Amino acid sequence: MDNPEQKVEHQHTKNWYDKSYKLILFFPVALLAACLVYLVIFHSQTGDLINRDVSLKGGTTITLLGDVDAVKLEAQLTEKIPDVSFRSLSEMGSEKQIALVIESSMQPDELKQNIEDILGYKLTDENSSIEFTGPSLSANFYRQLIIALIISFVLMSIVIFIMFKSFIPSIAVIFAAFADIVMALALVDFLGMKLSAAGIAAFLMLVGYSVDTDILLTTRALKKAEGTLNQRIYGAFKTGIFMTTTALFAVLPAFFIVTGLPDSFRQIFLILAFGLGADIINTWMTNASIIKWYCDKKGIK
Amino acid sequence: MVLRQEGDKMKISFRVWLLVICLSLAAMIIINGSAASRFLAGFIVILVPIALTYVNSKVGKVLVILILAASLVYVALTATGDGVIIKSIEKNSTEFSEGLRSGMILKSLNGGEIKNVEDYSRLISALLPSKEETKIILGTDSKEIVFVTNKTLSITVENIKKTNLKTGLDLSGGARALVSAERPLTSSEMSDLVAVTSNRLNVFGISDVSVRSVSDLEGNSYMLIEVAGVSPADLKELVAKQGKFEARIGNESLDNNESKGILVFEGGKGDISDVCRNRAECSGIQSCDKTSSGYGCSFRFTVYLTEEAAKKHAEITKDIPLDSTGEYLTEKLYLYVDNSEMDSLLIGADLKGQVTTQVSIQGSGTGATQEEAYNDAKTNMNKLQTILITGSLPYKLNLVKLDSVSPMLGKEFTNNIIKLGLIVFAIICALLFIKYRKIKITMAVILTVVSEATLTLAIAALIRWNLDAPSIAGIIAGMGTGVNDQIIIIDESISSEQTSLKERIKRALFIIFGAFFTIVAAMLPLFWAGTGLLRGFALTTIIGVSVGILITRPAFADIMKRISE
Repeated sequence: MDNPEQKVEHQHTKNWYDKSYKLILFFPVALLAACLVYLVIFHSQTGDLINRDVSLKGGTTITLLGDVDAVKLEAQLTEKIPDVSFRSLSEMGSEKQIALVIESSMQPDELKQNIEDILGYKLTDENSSIEFTGPSLSANFYRQLIIALIISFVLMSIVIFIMFKSFIPSIAVIFAAFADIVMALALVDFLGMKLSAAGIAAFLMLVGYSVDTDILLTTRALKKAEGTLNQRIYGAFKTGIFMTTTALFAVLPAFFIVTGLPDSFRQIFLILAFGLGADIINTWMTNASIIKWYCDKKGIK
Repeated sequence: MVLRQEGDKMKISFRVWLLVICLSLAAMIIINGSAASRFLAGFIVILVPIALTYVNSKVGKVLVILILAASLVYVALTATGDGVIIKSIEKNSTEFSEGLRSGMILKSLNGGEIKNVEDYSRLISALLPSKEETKIILGTDSKEIVFVTNKTLSITVENIKKTNLKTGLDLSGGARALVSAERPLTSSEMSDLVAVTSNRLNVFGISDVSVRSVSDLEGNSYMLIEVAGVSPADLKELVAKQGKFEARIGNESLDNNESKGILVFEGGKGDISDVCRNRAECSGIQSCDKTSSGYGCSFRFTVYLTEEAAKKHAEITKDIPLDSTGEYLTEKLYLYVDNSEMDSLLIGADLKGQVTTQVSIQGSGTGATQEEAYNDAKTNMNKLQTILITGSLPYKLNLVKLDSVSPMLGKEFTNNIIKLGLIVFAIICALLFIKYRKIKITMAVILTVVSEATLTLAIAALIRWNLDAPSIAGIIAGMGTGVNDQIIIIDESISSEQTSLKERIKRALFIIFGAFFTIVAAMLPLFWAGTGLLRGFALTTIIGVSVGILITRPAFADIMKRISE
């Protein structure tokens, strides 16, 4: 496949890469440290690692169908209810509003009454959806999803250890997965997103989904086939980066093209997108540098 | 399989056949309709690889595929035939007594053909309601029903579904309630609660309702109620409170209240101290006999009343005369749940004026075979026992979650998800073609990804899984993993390395298996966390990647071997 021109280029990158791969490791580690610091500050300010939405905090979500007067409703509701928040779902292109989502920690009947008073008509099955989660249940949900996330991470780590049977390469993969989650989480908090139960479920998927490029890299690097270590890493990179790009392109239309989607659906996709973005850094900078370091020490060429 | 062989090229490997057969089964499962059309659909799928093997020219291959795909779509769309399905029917209506039942398919109304709901609405609104009695002739899938009425029909109808796929609450609309008791319930208490609640919801004529108990990671148990389609406005009242049970004698309206007769005892007031269930000595099927029209079985169980209730009963019954046979009283005991009459019992002569705390309740069931009659009797007994314990469950209920989703919003979401799916699909095809510049490789990936999604949907239809938004996100994520795995196989098989192709494919499969196990391990905890409300996400992802690893990936590896050879 490779033509002579590319081979020359390889030679260049090889020299540069051999010299600087340890330096490259600095960037993701610094980024990870910054994210961790941010999360610690976030935790000390809010008392929690994430902004929970009503499905994890308890409260009511009312979705009004169609083109309701969001401005009027927002102005009047905010006066009466302090913790109310609004989000509008609109069709991309036409910008036509298909639904207005209203969230509050109130009981469903009260919130419904307040909205009906302002709008001047009854909320029915035809024109609205109402979702209510009690505070005790949502606290349960939250705690259990966090436990599930930890179990998921531990199970994934076990699978990785069984696969590679050696300590450093396995830890490198697990560390990259951990960094993916921390970075995605920091980004979620930074953007002020409110996470739902489905959003946390997406983190579980990220645990499993983000390691496939790491497995690819580690397998290609360690299984001594042919070519130099750098060539093998570069080969893995070519395959892996295409995998991640495809996945990103598959996930992104949910934000830029078709936007009128259920919240659970969009959160899952958005968190996968964050995680995949972080995965590019953590696989090809973090994990690749560690595995190269390891191979250099072990004399794997 | 003896095919016209041209070297190795024409042979279809066992693993590709396996994929084709699975796809053919999937088509049969997903399509809703007559057995014949389902088999035809399955057969068309099997024809694809055979036709591809026999046709040599490229144009011919494309033509064959297009023709087969078009005929598959045609078969799928026409499999169910025309008509509308009856979703619900009022039990005390003329049409019900004439034999119309829910589940029947309406095909014509007074000679006018009904193809869909619009046809039905148009035809029925032209006839009913009317001032004079109108003769109505309904043509159904099983028989013709003729009756005279001037009121509009008390049925709701729906278009017949083209597929066996079921969509979840957030996409089809409906309501979901999660109820917990104030204290932890034993499993038998929970099953009582579920039985009593489903019984009450049936009283209210709510169709398409499922009530079941669910538990979470920490062992808390809840009752989950799911109502499909339009949800009742008073669902909250219905599920958060225990029902009202009353037993009354006589059905004369004494006051202007809705309830009739004299109140003898009610649930929750301590009138009934115990209902004997699942104890052979005081509850069970008594005997089964052959009758003129089949078999009949009788059951008997004991109800324990408190002293006061027994006295009240004696006081009320002492003045009621015996009927002509002398075995029973002329007035019956009527059982009401939430003011609806559920059942009535004859009162034995020996109970007249007697203060007795142990009352034996008898009833029967019938059926064409003895087994049927036995089961019918058992069902009737359970129903009666459930009625009697309504309102007397010794704990309060809390409504911890209540979601009601508008069917209109669900429809909007469904359309957008389909739109999104098509866009994502087009983008992936374009990316693959840009990267590999080979139509064959691109086609092979598309084929396997579509196969995976189809097989996942078929399994979901088979286990009657309700596909909600997270489930569909799971299917898409599964497809994403599929594409990634395919890319790994392609890059290994077209690489310029000296290692044998077999060795390289083996290495690709090692990576793929690793990725498979990590994703399964990562999603597994979601099955139990949070009462399993997000189980669909884990389920479809795991089904998707498993189908991938077991069926489509091996077939794809074979196809890639062929292409790169």
